[in-house]
Amino acid sequence: MLATTHPTETDHEPFKWPLEGVTRAPYRLFTDPEIYAQEQQRIFRGRAWNYLGLEVEIPNPGDYKTTTVGETPVIVTRDRDGTVHAMVNRCAHKGALVCLKKKDNVPSLTCVYHSWNYELDGRLKGVAFRNGLRGQGGMPDDFDVSKHRLQPLKVETFCGMIFGSFAEDMEDVETYLGPDMAPFIRRNLGRPLRILGTHSQTIHNNWKLYAENLRDSYHATLLHTFYTTFKVNRLDMDGGIILSDKKWHHISFARRANLTEAAEYKDSNVHSASYDSALEGPGLLQAWDEFDDGITHSIQTIFPNMCVQFTLNSLAIRFFAPRGVDKTELFWIYLGYERDSEEQSQMRIMQSNLTGAAGLVSLEDGCINEFVQRGTRADPQCASFMEMGGRKVESEKSSRATETSVRGFWHGYREIMGF
Amino acid sequence: MADNMRKITPLALDTPSHEMVTDLIVSYAHAMDDGQIDLWPRFFTASALYHITTRENHDQGLPIGIIRCSGRGMMADRVKAFHTANIFEPHCYNHMIGPAVIGAGKSAGAVSSRCNFQIVRIMEDGRMDLFATGKYLDEIVLEAGVARLQERIVVLDSRNVDILIVLPL
Repeated sequence: MLATTHPTETDHEPFKWPLEGVTRAPYRLFTDPEIYAQEQQRIFRGRAWNYLGLEVEIPNPGDYKTTTVGETPVIVTRDRDGTVHAMVNRCAHKGALVCLKKKDNVPSLTCVYHSWNYELDGRLKGVAFRNGLRGQGGMPDDFDVSKHRLQPLKVETFCGMIFGSFAEDMEDVETYLGPDMAPFIRRNLGRPLRILGTHSQTIHNNWKLYAENLRDSYHATLLHTFYTTFKVNRLDMDGGIILSDKKWHHISFARRANLTEAAEYKDSNVHSASYDSALEGPGLLQAWDEFDDGITHSIQTIFPNMCVQFTLNSLAIRFFAPRGVDKTELFWIYLGYERDSEEQSQMRIMQSNLTGAAGLVSLEDGCINEFVQRGTRADPQCASFMEMGGRKVESEKSSRATETSVRGFWHGYREIMGF
Repeated sequence: MADNMRKITPLALDTPSHEMVTDLIVSYAHAMDDGQIDLWPRFFTASALYHITTRENHDQGLPIGIIRCSGRGMMADRVKAFHTANIFEPHCYNHMIGPAVIGAGKSAGAVSSRCNFQIVRIMEDGRMDLFATGKYLDEIVLEAGVARLQERIVVLDSRNVDILIVLPL
C-alpha cells in the first residue's frame, strides 16, 4: 500500500519482550488493540480451556446459559441425555445471536431472524421455507442441513465446572491443570455445589491486570488493610505459593501457624476458627474449620481468566471476561455445598462481605488495576518491574512476599502468545 | 400477594406515620449525599438488617448479594473501614428518590415502605455517571418516638456494579 497514513501511525513497531524476561511486562500489553485481537485467537480461541460455567446452572435437559469466551458469544446447553454441549452463539445463516437470554429452558434452539432451528447440540434441524412458498423460491436442491451447524466447542466438565476449548485436540482438563492443581480443585469443588448468589463488577482495566492482581500475593497485606485495621488475629501467618507445571495456574495459601492450637480449638466447639478482633460486629468472621489440612485462605487461578477463592468458609468462583482492551467484567459466583447445614450457610453468607464489589477486605481491587491502566497508558514502551522474591519462576512454599506467580502468568502468556 | 393485604390493613397507632417514614427515607439520602457516613448506622435499629443485592438474586431468593450487615455493629465496622482501611477514588452520590408506597409491616409496630431510587456518582474530576437504580424495601419502626429502619433491602436493577461500592446506597 502507498504510504498515505500519518507518519506517527506508521512507526508501530512489532512487539518484542524485554531481554529481562518475565520480570518485566511492557505496558503496551495492556493498551494495544492489536495484541488484544491476537489474544482472542491465540488464547481464547487457542490451546486453552475456558471456564463456561457450572453444571448446577443448567441441571435439566433443555437448559441453556449464555457466556463469552474472550469476545466470542457462546451457548452452553444440557441435552436430553444429560450431555453438556457448547457452541458459538452465531446462527449459521446470517450470523445473528441465536440465544438472547442469560438462561432458559427450550426444546431446541431457534434463531429469531429467519427461524433456523437447531438441536440442543447445535446441529441444524431445519430452515424456514426450505421448499419455498407455493412452489416458488426455497433453497437450492442440493441444500443439505447436515452441512450447516452452530460451531461447536470441545467441552469437558471437572468438579462441577464446565470448560470449553476451540482446540479440537486439546488435552483433557486434568492434564491442563496439572498434578499440583487438580487435587486442590477437588478439595474445594469436588462435591455437589449450591449457588448462594452472584453479581458482577466492571473494572476499567485490561483483563491481564486482574490476572496479575490475583497472583500478586505481595500486595495482599499492603493494599488491603482491613485485617490489620480491625486487629484480626489470623493465626495463619504461614503460607506459600504453588505454581502448576506450566506455571500459568497457581495456588496461594495461608495456613494456621500452629496446628496444635488448631486441634485444641477443634475439640472445644464448631466455631473453632472464630477470630479475635476489634470488630463491633464479630459475627462477620464466625467460621469453622472445614478441612483438616489447616489451610484457611486460598486463591487458585486457572489460566486464562478464572479463579477459585476459599477465604475462611467463603467459597466463590471469580471469572473475569474481557470487554475490550481496557475493560473487564468480573463475575462473583458465591457457592456452598448441598450438604451444608443452615448454620454453615449462614457463616458463608456473612463472610461474603469480605469480597466482591463491596468486599471489606478486597474492594480496592476494583480500582487498583484501573490506577495501573491510567498510569501506564501514555507510556506503552515502559515496563513494570517484578523482582520481589527473586527472578525465578517456581513455587515458594514458605513465603508469600513474592511475585513468582505473576512471573508465572507471564511465562505461560509468552508461550501461548509466541512472544 | 400479602402486600395488597397489608395496604388495606389500617395502620396501628404505635407505628411511624407516613410523614415520619418519608422524612426518614429522605434524610437518609441527604445524609449520604452530604458525605455524613458516620450518621448512617443511626438510621437503623440496633438489630437491623441492611442488605444490598441484585434483582437477579432477590427474585431467585438467593441469600448472597453485595453487602449484608446484620446489626448496627456491622454497619459501624463498615464506617470504620471506610475511614481507615478501604482505598478508593474520592466520590459522592446524589440520590433521587421516588414516592413511597407505605403499608403494614411484617411485624407488629412496623410499617413497610417501597420506593425507587436513582443514584448519580460524581467523581472528583467532575465525571458524573448513573451509578445505581433500584428499589428500597424498608421495614420501619418507632424507637422512643423516632422512626428507624429495622430492615432495608436495596435491590439493584442491574447485576453489574461499576468499579466498587464503598459508600452505603
